[in-house]
Amino acid sequence: MDTQSYLPVKPGVGMEENFLSLDDILLSHERLPIRTECSFPRLGFLEKSSDSHDIPEGTKMELPLWLSKGLYEKKRRVLSVELPKVYREGWRTVFNADPNVVDLHKMGPYYYGLGSQMLHFDSPENPEIAQTLLQTFIGRFRRNMDSSQNAYNEDTSALVERLDCLEKALFSSGQSGLNSFQSWEKGRASQLTASSLVLNYRKRKINDLQP
Amino acid sequence: MDASEVEFLAEKETVKIIPNFSLDKIYLIGGDLGPFNPGLPVDVPVWLALNLKQRQKCRIVPPAWMDVDKLEEMRDLERKEDTFTPVPSPYYMELTKLLLNFASDNIPKADEIRTLVKDIWDTRIAKLRLSADSFISQLEAHAKLDNLTLMEINTIRAFLLDSLNCLYKLRSNQHPGSSKGQFADF
Repeated sequence: MDTQSYLPVKPGVGMEENFLSLDDILLSHERLPIRTECSFPRLGFLEKSSDSHDIPEGTKMELPLWLSKGLYEKKRRVLSVELPKVYREGWRTVFNADPNVVDLHKMGPYYYGLGSQMLHFDSPENPEIAQTLLQTFIGRFRRNMDSSQNAYNEDTSALVERLDCLEKALFSSGQSGLNSFQSWEKGRASQLTASSLVLNYRKRKINDLQP
Repeated sequence: MDASEVEFLAEKETVKIIPNFSLDKIYLIGGDLGPFNPGLPVDVPVWLALNLKQRQKCRIVPPAWMDVDKLEEMRDLERKEDTFTPVPSPYYMELTKLLLNFASDNIPKADEIRTLVKDIWDTRIAKLRLSADSFISQLEAHAKLDNLTLMEINTIRAFLLDSLNCLYKLRSNQHPGSSKGQFADF
């Protein structure tokens, strides 16, 4: 039984983010290559490479996803967002050829999440990006399922190191199903064990509370 | 759902026992049991049968399907067919484990039965994975779970449901108009 002291909020995966999901908060810090379409006065400190006070029009720089999402508007062109390398034509061909060989952890680690977020910036390649994300997921599904349902009592770090964060979460839910079945089969499920909450509980010392 | 919860449900199945004591009919919420007479077979739920067996008060008669010949036939059929074949009991795995663990002295060829049931289980799980994979890769929207037992569904449930949720989100990316407009979270 996996009991946790809190219930983690799952990532939103699609175009909407879950405000309270830790994965989505980390995802919103991914940096995107952008190009400014108007000058940003007195914001030169955002761009580390130059010393000027202002950011002139047409500068190429990197901004985190949350900021680019907030500044991007269809009508008033403040900035234009370029696609990160992994979502461009060249890599899309690789993903369509064989998604299993790609190390998504190195490419992402939020490949699916960031890819879905890129659809906010009306690029003409949006349909292809969405299609590639879906096909990649489907193509990698079988291997993920088999490895998560067969690896019992062994070191799984080699299996998960090439997985995207989303696939890692799926892997661990597959493992929980396998583990609960195996522990039932071995008759371990009927034994009472201490809750993980109690195991982690440590007596508070008065010195810790008083500075 | 936990595997032990499935086992709990399986304990409601009835099994025949031959008691060696006598007792009048007993009236329980789930139904009346008995009367118990020494040497006369009577149907009771598995939980009661195991309790009586542990106290040496009865002999358990194994269900008709728990037989080496029948199970071998089932295993061969299961390997031959592409689809799931009907199982003799919706709780075949749980009952085998319970009865073989607590009453293996009443069941002839207990070890062979254990191996055969495990073989059937492995074949069915392999089929289940194969069909889950083709379900995902063909982007189907619904599937029929004919002849699958609760324990089999239970082992793959968490993984399959989470994957289908992700798949749904990724599919709805393809038609952004159908979701709630852009920047709905602002």
